[in-house]
Amino acid sequence: MVRSRLLSRSLVVAACLGLSISAASAQDVIRFGAPLPLTGPLAPEAIKQQQGYDLWAEQANKAGGIAVGGKKYKVEIVYADYQSNTPRAVQTTEQMITQNNVNFLFSPFGSGAAKAASSVSEKYKIPTIAATASSSQVYDQGYKYLFGTFTPNDTLTTPLTKIVTAKAPDVKKVAILARNDLFPLAIAQEMEKSAKAAGLEVAYFEKYAIGTLDHSATLSQIKSLAPQWIFVTGYINDLLLVRKQMADQQIKAPVVSMIAGPAYQEFIDAAGASAENVTSAAWWHPAAQYDGKDIFGTSANYVKLFRDKYKSTPDYAQASASVAGALFQMAIEKAGSLDKDKVRDALAKLDVVTFFGPVKFGPNGQIDSLEPPVFQIQNAKPVVLSPQVIKQGDFKLGVN
Amino acid sequence: MLAAQILINALVLGCLYACIAIGFSLVWGVLNVINLMHGSFIVLGAYLAWGLYRSLHIAPWYALLLAAPLFFAIGYLIQRVILNRVITAPVLVTLTLTFGLDLILNNAMIYYLKADYQKLSLVPPMGSVSLFGVVVPVDRLVATVAALGLTFVLYLILRRLRVGRAIVAVRLDRDAAVLMGVDVNVTYAVAFGLGAALAGCAGVLMALIFPISPLTSTAYLGKAFVVCVLGGLGSVSGALAGGILLALIEGVGSAMIGPAHATTLSFALLIVFLIVRPQGLLGRKGFE
Repeated sequence: MVRSRLLSRSLVVAACLGLSISAASAQDVIRFGAPLPLTGPLAPEAIKQQQGYDLWAEQANKAGGIAVGGKKYKVEIVYADYQSNTPRAVQTTEQMITQNNVNFLFSPFGSGAAKAASSVSEKYKIPTIAATASSSQVYDQGYKYLFGTFTPNDTLTTPLTKIVTAKAPDVKKVAILARNDLFPLAIAQEMEKSAKAAGLEVAYFEKYAIGTLDHSATLSQIKSLAPQWIFVTGYINDLLLVRKQMADQQIKAPVVSMIAGPAYQEFIDAAGASAENVTSAAWWHPAAQYDGKDIFGTSANYVKLFRDKYKSTPDYAQASASVAGALFQMAIEKAGSLDKDKVRDALAKLDVVTFFGPVKFGPNGQIDSLEPPVFQIQNAKPVVLSPQVIKQGDFKLGVN
Repeated sequence: MLAAQILINALVLGCLYACIAIGFSLVWGVLNVINLMHGSFIVLGAYLAWGLYRSLHIAPWYALLLAAPLFFAIGYLIQRVILNRVITAPVLVTLTLTFGLDLILNNAMIYYLKADYQKLSLVPPMGSVSLFGVVVPVDRLVATVAALGLTFVLYLILRRLRVGRAIVAVRLDRDAAVLMGVDVNVTYAVAFGLGAALAGCAGVLMALIFPISPLTSTAYLGKAFVVCVLGGLGSVSGALAGGILLALIEGVGSAMIGPAHATTLSFALLIVFLIVRPQGLLGRKGFE
């Protein structure tokens, strides 16, 4: 009896100690919530984002953590899988705030889910950085706590159009095929505007449903119009499928552009020879040469750290996730506080060069300081065509 | 020329749709079981082809020889061990059961094989053939011929073999079939095994053309549903007719009103058929 009472008392004491230890450690940690589509059709993209966040967290913790008022806080990232289901992304975001008690948030993947979840983070006034949302509709909601590291979609299509019209004056007719989804459709609409502004004829503009497996009828129609420029948007799996079915139907064009897939090494590996001369644009490229003030320093150092950890070359999605973390770190340190409003104000005032490029958020929270690179797959490698400072080669015509 | 191309695309794709649907139609029409695992069986077949090509460089047409007996065995066992217990229950019970089993199967695939898409890329690629400006990819042609072959084999089994006639007999009158000495449980298991084998083989053929992911199972199941309703249950030729009709609607619809609405159009037609002609184009009355 005495023994059991002793045992129960010591258990209570141990439990209290445990609580106080965990409470103490909770104080030394800054929790970042990252709802991601870790399963489902968007899983490949989610894994990239996770890699980017993890690399940043590892570097930040290696350096002792984030310094706030003379004290160092470790970084902890809380992940949750919303299974590529946007309504679930919203639910997960709310759960992270109310149950996981995260201090700050990274948005779910892509413009659609980021926009949907932003209403929740705004409601709870949680500073949030969207690492993969570019559509201006995400930022035009008048929200104060949302920031994004991707420039608007037209910053991709306009430089691409300028290169094509300058180097290929015979290109007059464009066909645009877009995945019926917020980001791919928005970028296709920007492409239509850029093409029309450059005096090109948009002979075909159609959307395909999410999950479409067979594009043969659509591609036959495009082929019959004989456009000199075929522009397709979607995610990597859509674009691989379309590119393969284009090759199946022997569709050739002087210019073929695809967003967003060719920036990923997986696209080049899977498409093989049919990836050759496909043009694209993205928000960052490993060839970038910025000397940043963030935890990663130079772009080259970021590429090295990424390669050491993951044995592969980072692309824009991974880099954007890493820079989102690094920006939070800088803003928290600048604010000298974990107070959400102070960190929000520090983010809004940031004007800094990072390994990702110059970062300054516009009045709506979307970055407005970057010049995204345009590139082309040449000899199974992405070659940067613009901007001039990181140019690696010249534009080539002809996609077979 | 565009019309000819769309027509050829639809014919080729229609045969593949028929191949996706025929096992589903057999199980639904004969056993009166709506097998919601059908899409996952197709995806598993595709993974089998992908795995064999990737690790042992075995071409998909040889993979068919393994897929057929393997999936037959899986289907046979599922029917004998699980489904047979509720086979005489109302259709909603078997529907719920296969739904639950599919959830387990599909989530297991997502867990072990990941949600990422895989692609079986033949080296060297098979290329395309061109005739009078109409282009057909060779891999689709090969898959179409194989799909037609499978359909013909099923037709022969049902018409010429004793077990096939037993399957039809059990569907038409279970009690009379018992009196004639037919082992109903074995016959049901054979029919379900045949359905699974056809799904596995269809998956092998789909791997040649489409990317592979557990998530595509719903798309395959959706196609199978529409084809069965359009073509009619319990009819081999009905599945073929339904497949071609669906591919034609999708192809022509895509050209006329845009690819984003092709699926909506096919489902709208499905509703029309359910109201106007529930037995489908070539289905038999009483099988709907």
